[in-house]
Amino acid sequence: MSAIKKSVPSVQSIELRSVTKRFPGVLANDSVSLSFESSRVHTLLGENGAGKSTLMHVMYGMYAPDEGQILVNGSPVHFRSPKDAAEYGIGMVHQHFMLVPSLSVLENIVLNYPSPRWPFLDLAAARERVVAMSNEYGFGIDPDAKVWQLSVGEQQRVEILRILFRDASYIILDEPTAVLTPLEVKEFMGVLRRLVADGHGIVFITHKLNEALEISDKITVLRSGKVVGETTPCDTDKNQLAGLMVGREVVPTWQKRGAAGEKVILSVRNLSARNNKGLRALNDVSFDLKEGEVLAVAGVSGNGQKELAETIAGLRRIDGGEILLGGSNLAGLDVKQRIDSGLAFIPEERMTMGVVKEFSLIENVILKSHGTPEFASGIFLRAKKIRDSAVQAIKDFDVRTPSADVAAATLSGGNIQKVILARELSSRPKLLIAAQPTRGVDIGASEYIHKRIVQIRNEGVPVLLISEDLDEIISLADRVLVLYEGQVQGIVPPSTPVEEIGLMMTGGNTHYVVDGCEDSETPPTTH
Amino acid sequence: MKKLLFSLLVLVLLAPGLAFAGGAAEVDDGVLRIGVILPSGRDDMSWSQGMYEGVSAVVANMGAGNAQMAVTENVPNPVDAGAAIRDYANQGFNIIIAHGSQYQNPLMEVAADFPEVTFAHGTAFETSSNIFAYDPQAQLGAYLFGWLAAQMTNSQVLGIVGPVRAGDAIKYNYGFIQGVEAANPSVRVLESYTGSFGDNIQAKEMAEAHINARADILTGTAQQVVGAIQAVSENDGVYWFANDTDQSPLAPNSIIASQAYSWETVVQYMVDSHMAGKLGGEIISLDLTNERIQLVFNPVLADLVPADLMAQFESKKADVASGAIQVRLPE
Amino acid sequence: MSEFFQATVLLGLLTAGVRLATPFLFAGLGEMLSQRSGVLNLGVEGIMLIGAFVSFFVAFESGNLYLGLLAAILAGAFMGLLTAFVSVTMKAVQGISGIGIHILGLGLSGLFFRLTMGSISTMRGFPRLAIPILKDIPVLGRVLFNQNWMVYAALLLVPISWAVIYKTTFGLKVRSVGENPHAADSLGISVTRVRYICVVIGSIMASIAGAFLTIGQHEAAFVNNIAAGRGFIAVALVYFAKWNPLGVLAGAFLFSMIDAFQLRIQIIDIGIPYEIPVMLPYIVTIVVLALSTRGRVLGPTALTKPFVRGVHT
Ligand SMILES: Nc1ncnc2c1ncn2[C@@H]1O[C@H](COP(=O)(O)OP(=O)(O)O)[C@@H](O)[C@H]1O
Ligand SMILES: [Mg+2]
Repeated sequence: MSAIKKSVPSVQSIELRSVTKRFPGVLANDSVSLSFESSRVHTLLGENGAGKSTLMHVMYGMYAPDEGQILVNGSPVHFRSPKDAAEYGIGMVHQHFMLVPSLSVLENIVLNYPSPRWPFLDLAAARERVVAMSNEYGFGIDPDAKVWQLSVGEQQRVEILRILFRDASYIILDEPTAVLTPLEVKEFMGVLRRLVADGHGIVFITHKLNEALEISDKITVLRSGKVVGETTPCDTDKNQLAGLMVGREVVPTWQKRGAAGEKVILSVRNLSARNNKGLRALNDVSFDLKEGEVLAVAGVSGNGQKELAETIAGLRRIDGGEILLGGSNLAGLDVKQRIDSGLAFIPEERMTMGVVKEFSLIENVILKSHGTPEFASGIFLRAKKIRDSAVQAIKDFDVRTPSADVAAATLSGGNIQKVILARELSSRPKLLIAAQPTRGVDIGASEYIHKRIVQIRNEGVPVLLISEDLDEIISLADRVLVLYEGQVQGIVPPSTPVEEIGLMMTGGNTHYVVDGCEDSETPPTTH
Repeated sequence: MKKLLFSLLVLVLLAPGLAFAGGAAEVDDGVLRIGVILPSGRDDMSWSQGMYEGVSAVVANMGAGNAQMAVTENVPNPVDAGAAIRDYANQGFNIIIAHGSQYQNPLMEVAADFPEVTFAHGTAFETSSNIFAYDPQAQLGAYLFGWLAAQMTNSQVLGIVGPVRAGDAIKYNYGFIQGVEAANPSVRVLESYTGSFGDNIQAKEMAEAHINARADILTGTAQQVVGAIQAVSENDGVYWFANDTDQSPLAPNSIIASQAYSWETVVQYMVDSHMAGKLGGEIISLDLTNERIQLVFNPVLADLVPADLMAQFESKKADVASGAIQVRLPE
Repeated sequence: MSEFFQATVLLGLLTAGVRLATPFLFAGLGEMLSQRSGVLNLGVEGIMLIGAFVSFFVAFESGNLYLGLLAAILAGAFMGLLTAFVSVTMKAVQGISGIGIHILGLGLSGLFFRLTMGSISTMRGFPRLAIPILKDIPVLGRVLFNQNWMVYAALLLVPISWAVIYKTTFGLKVRSVGENPHAADSLGISVTRVRYICVVIGSIMASIAGAFLTIGQHEAAFVNNIAAGRGFIAVALVYFAKWNPLGVLAGAFLFSMIDAFQLRIQIIDIGIPYEIPVMLPYIVTIVVLALSTRGRVLGPTALTKPFVRGVHT
């Protein structure tokens, strides 16, 4: 075991001095000065594109800074590659995981690490150490499993193990929670605390305010490549942080008006369906959705939410039960017929199911309606009509794009979601199903999407909102339906304490606790 | 997109090695220009090399001031050949020889547009007022070689390494088998095809397979035979009858005799006709009577054929030449 | 029919199969390494032709076969550097640039042959080298251990490639670069360097495969386009092999044994058109491939994709 341990110096402090990094046409980091210490969680908070990842890539030796300096333990360093940074004990878990799927956990961990039996690999010696580390942190990773067989959460742990294996004393985690379920986030926070307790320094990148407030010792907010604020969780709150991130005060621009109606629009009766593996994913699900109501479906990812949305949208076969829209059964109808009967759908997989990436925004906007007499005569499309209508929709829905002709793939997640909204809502639907509408979307766009959802709810259209973000659920929902293992665990009002909803989401055995500053024995506040 | 452009650029830059087109001739009075299109290289030791040397000899005899030639090699594909044929015609060439049966369609097409130019192709039978076809009677020498091989074999097994079952090859093989049957019907002839004109390694393995099956005299056609001849020369006591040109330099200890086409006389005939104002309209036969086919024995192996057998062979040859022995052609 | 099953014919078949498989082994194992690193080298055929010519020419002029082989190795390395420069540094579309390399190799080998030698010449290539003791094993001895040393080298390369890919630190780097170059890069592996090394080694092996077609034959000769498509078959065999050296061995042997078999089945004249046996190796290989694609194929997912840091494809 000692044979493959290298002596890596311990990082006491890292200092960035006036670091500037440019990409063609983009100033990604603008004279950023920051210092990091060991045994601390230092959070970098910022919207998508703020320059967080780039700054950390500079600190990790992937990009050379155009200007500025990096100091480790007080002396200047020049990293030519991540290998140099690793030699100083700096490790990084990237936003896109840097694992090789077909290789085993062990092979991924020892990749480019000196082998005592060079030129041959020495997996046996490495295995011993990896198992020990995995047990120490309670990771429970099988070192011989292939990475592609692991869940996202497990893959993240492999990344962390790989860094620990290299005796890193300073660990950068780039948006590690973006891919995790709420439950996994809790576990992950525990791991961070362990790492800090063991003397590691942590840079934690996120754009989620709750997480920043929960775990940080220090918070730095980046916007447009610049540092716009430095604080600690005890000296700030969500509103202030959100303001710093977006550059203006974030106040909800929407308001729910009036109570939900009584008329049942969608009635789901004893619905059952299977997932892609052929296992039962929905089991006897029944609920009513009323006029002007947001019914939010809460649950840990993988408990049937995806299948629920897809069965109603007509993308998945049902095993049994009925889906009644305005009294008539949708079960026998295909997707097109369901669209015609007034169903609008914002799918979870926005890049693959929501848009055709290569198509222009115009084409994406009219994807559903291109066959209607308004846009087509016979087999020919009416180009002018289409363009005018699509351009208007893109404007109405505040899509930030250089032109309506660019391919959808070139837009950010938030803007793509607005394109989808423009398509789905411009057809005046009778029912909206929105699956994870704001996942990975920045605050500004999230606000906008929320506004649109509430707007059509206020107009009387019922909305089935599926989300893993409890804040979103509580602020938008009229009623909350909790799914657990494909069954309705209960339907409760949004005023129900978050702990209770959390308990229902996990079948009833976990406690939703938030810790942080002295006075924070309360659940996270909602705006 | 930029990458695609760059890649195409690389392709274009790296490509010029492919076909070596001869230098373009300028239109000038009094000089006869001959353009030749060859399916393989002009040094293939067989079909293409034979024609190349024939045209070269004619041009050399006429003198550089009177005649010039240009060659396009390695164009097995008729579409590319069509472009080359038209190119020569546009450049004012007087005689254009497309040396392969596969060139018939493009040749006829271009010939219709250039009535002043003589076109020639073969093995072929289609002619018009400005098209010559030439037709080597490959089966004649093949018959005689088959007859001789059947007398010489110890193992009573012979082998034919064929390229593709078509054109010259099939005529040759058909004649060879008839000769064997005439001499000794109990001798077996192994006949097989590689599926390619130019795959020497495959031809070598095929010859090896024949030798494994106890064949001790082999024959075959097309440029691939260089490989088969290698296999023959690796094995003692195994011999080869050659076709197209005198191939004995390739394996002086293994090649008994070659059927060589005298392309020079064919080309000379076409040049004379062209100058006399006859631009085409004839099928030019290569056969034993007009001596455009020659059977060349390898002096190194002269002892292998006993004198009395050689005498019998000569009289058979006279019978074949005179038509007393009829060698049938495949349907 | 009965004579077909005579021992000598069967032995001849197996021996021929091994001989025919040899160029596929060299070129296929080399191509596999290149593809494992994420570079599709479609120019193998052209590089084989260069190797075939250069080795023959140098051996012919110097009278030393080993000098010929060395020249082929150097020429292969040069072609490999060119291929790597175009594919890795200039990030060209690999399918198209590979065809360019093929055409270059075809043209250059033909041109230099004409300029330097002018006509077909022959010489003695590497002789058979029976391995004592092993050659006396019944059947196997005659088939495997009575060939020339290049055949043995090709067979030895199979376990060596396997060990390099699966058991060495270098092999692990190659696999990671071919599948997720971003991951490799993030750990300080130079994607460019690994790819250059693999493409150059792969090209050297293609060049050696070409040398086998000339000086690796008992009676050696160079003729234009002597590879006759074998380089492209080698590329196809890599897919057949699912990027595994043992698969390359299996594919090369399957294809070559059936080829040797069809050459002999034609001889016994069972009344089927010759085109069918000629196609047989291709058909069987495709059928086996189609039947064996079940299960997850863990190929190099970054194959043909140039690497740009920060740009995930
Ligand atoms: N490799 C790159 N090439 C060009 N532009 C880039 C590259 N990486 C990031 N950028 C740009 O730099 C800015 C900052 O990006 P990034 O650091 O990824 O932001 P964050 O991690 O905060 O979301 C963005 O405008 C992004 O488009
Ligand atoms: Mg980022």
